[in-house]
Amino acid sequence: MSLDTAAPDNTPHVASVVSDEVVIELSKVNKWFGEFHVLKDIDLTVYKGERIVVCGPSGSGKSTAIRCINRLEEHQEGDIIVNGTVMGTNLKNIDAIRRNVGMVFQSFNLFPHLTVLENCTLAPIWVRNLSKVEAERIAMEYLERVKIPEQAEKYPGQLSGGQQQRVAIARSLCMSPTIMLFDEPTSALDPEMISEVLDVMVGLAESGMTMIVVTHEMGFAKRVADRVIFMDQGEIVEQNTPEEFFNNPKSDRTKLFLSQILAH
Amino acid sequence: MTDTMQTDAVFHPKPSMPPPPNTVGVVGWMRKNLFGSLVDGILTIGCLALVLYVLNSVLQYTLINAVWTANSYRECLDINKGEGACWAGISVWFNSMMYGRYPDPEQWRINLAFVTLFAWMAPFWFPKVSGKMLVGASAVLTFPFLAAQLFLGGETSLFHQAMVSVALVLFITVWLHVGTSYLMGRSIGDVLVGITGFADKDDRLHKWVHMGFFGVGFVLAFLYQSSWEFVEVPITVWGGLFLTLVISGIGIASALPNGILLALGRRSKMPVIRVFCTSFIELFRSVPLITILFMAVTMMPLFLPVEINPPKLIMVIVAVCLFSAAYMAETVRAGLQAINKGQYEAAQAMGLNFWKMMALIVMPQALKLMIPNIVGSFIGLMKDTTLVSIIGLYDILLMAKAAGQNPTWLGFHTEPLLFTASFFFVICFCMSKYSQHLERTIGGGYGRR
Ligand SMILES: Nc1ncnc2c1ncn2[C@@H]1O[C@H](COP(=O)(O)OP(=O)(O)OP(=O)(O)O)[C@@H](O)[C@H]1O
Ligand SMILES: [Mg+2]
Repeated sequence: MSLDTAAPDNTPHVASVVSDEVVIELSKVNKWFGEFHVLKDIDLTVYKGERIVVCGPSGSGKSTAIRCINRLEEHQEGDIIVNGTVMGTNLKNIDAIRRNVGMVFQSFNLFPHLTVLENCTLAPIWVRNLSKVEAERIAMEYLERVKIPEQAEKYPGQLSGGQQQRVAIARSLCMSPTIMLFDEPTSALDPEMISEVLDVMVGLAESGMTMIVVTHEMGFAKRVADRVIFMDQGEIVEQNTPEEFFNNPKSDRTKLFLSQILAH
Repeated sequence: MTDTMQTDAVFHPKPSMPPPPNTVGVVGWMRKNLFGSLVDGILTIGCLALVLYVLNSVLQYTLINAVWTANSYRECLDINKGEGACWAGISVWFNSMMYGRYPDPEQWRINLAFVTLFAWMAPFWFPKVSGKMLVGASAVLTFPFLAAQLFLGGETSLFHQAMVSVALVLFITVWLHVGTSYLMGRSIGDVLVGITGFADKDDRLHKWVHMGFFGVGFVLAFLYQSSWEFVEVPITVWGGLFLTLVISGIGIASALPNGILLALGRRSKMPVIRVFCTSFIELFRSVPLITILFMAVTMMPLFLPVEINPPKLIMVIVAVCLFSAAYMAETVRAGLQAINKGQYEAAQAMGLNFWKMMALIVMPQALKLMIPNIVGSFIGLMKDTTLVSIIGLYDILLMAKAAGQNPTWLGFHTEPLLFTASFFFVICFCMSKYSQHLERTIGGGYGRR
């Protein structure tokens, strides 16, 4: 796809401050959809402040893997530990994890019956028990950060795709998460809107947020990622720093994927 | 390129000509739609004659030959030979058709209750009033207690008296809220906080200010209502339009909450709840209402202990509530099905629990989609309640029939039925128009371009 939409190759890599504190730990995670083995022995350790880009062909299990991290999907085997909390059937643990993990979807999933501002204040008011005034102050702060404070009173249906996705990012940030998950945040956007969303994500990376991003925007990966993970058929095939991954891929499967994706 | 086109280098548009006569205007429209061919012409004239004939008959019956004052049906017939309506009878029977055998000196209680209900719901249509959901919820949850006290009278339990007091406080609060909203542009809650000087304190203290005012109001209301002395009116003398509205009102008010719970239960992951809700819905949807009503009044007493012998009306209301809940559950479920999976996922990812997700995200969207269907089942229920006349409850329909069986008014059948029908028409037509209005204004538009 677009090597050049986000940033030219010579843009400097966003400085990262990766601590040695582990925030997400997946060990031997297996998941099946009925008979279909969709995740196979996934092992992954994410450190605080680390930015990880996940790529791979369609149907390889990327979405499923990151959706297991906030329990939108249930895994059957293995352990998932987020911020020291073990993911299990315990609802309290799930709630605790979800409060700390924000998620941005490919299809935005804004609430169409609420205004942009109400979208952003809903969870802070009802989950974090903030007062309305306080929640609105925080919401406006983040809407300014994603550069659309003037749209606060509009409904999502009145915004462009890029604007909607920026609202969705602001909405997640209003819960003050420590980890952000992005599932192909730019795939549903027209080319000219992709960069406005990626700019917001780069800004978020600069602020030191821990991020896991499923994307095919290789320019973004080169500029922001600390680590690139390549998945195929439910397995992590290769993981490496972006320079090594793009210039020096080890497995043949990765080489084939990169040649296909960079062919356009 | 041909020569002609080259010579015509400059383009001269032809001037617009008027259309041929007889194709536009009234004449044109009539030629096209009414008299397009010989057959069309014959049909048009035939229909016109039919319409005029019917109109004439209706006018003859309802106005020209109608009798407005008479003391018996015989008198009416003597005057107009049965060729016109006997509206005199309606004014004689009006009171019975409205209130049944409810004693005349106590009927103001019924009127007061209905006026209160309308006054309670009216702020819903005032644009400047905030917190409409709270207004609606307060009415739905507490008005029934107030109404029961007014309708039944007599001694009541302490709990009932407490609920009546709550209802009084909430009703007055709603109208104070309307007052402050229009005069000061602020909600009653803010005004109270402002008066007491808590405005600049922590938000969480405001709740206690509200509680304090509510407590004081509650005590006053309780003292006031304990001075009430209403004569007891037994449930068995209730009747007429009043009874119809009580049954259908309770059925309608309970249908939505119960239907939502049943619909959620049917989609639940817990097998026991799912099987129970599914069987309940399917059972009540596959049995005619009249069967359920018969079962309620003839068979239920056999299963209940002898000491508990609830009046027929209570049984009927329970049956109507169960029936309407089952129908509403399917309507709500259809609405839930239309909500995108992404909405659930986004709500979950933000940490909303199941009930908050349903109440804040899913239900508002699903219900807005289903407004026409919901109002449709309300209208159906409203009309279905006339079935209670078959099991001998004197609702407006049976009262209408009873009029014609009275010795002085023997044979007086058509007019009461017309009168009843016009009542149902007005009520149901208003509901239907209002639902169309709701659909246009909020039905899923969300300010979309
Ligand atoms: N709810 C489900 N039930 C059954 N199978 C599913 C379900 N969700 C996903 N799958 C299957 O699991 C596999 C992995 O899906 P996933 O969405 O994780 O892929 P992906 O890597 O995100 O692909 P894409 O790039 O197309 O988004 C796919 O083959 C998909 O068909
Ligand atoms: Mg995916």
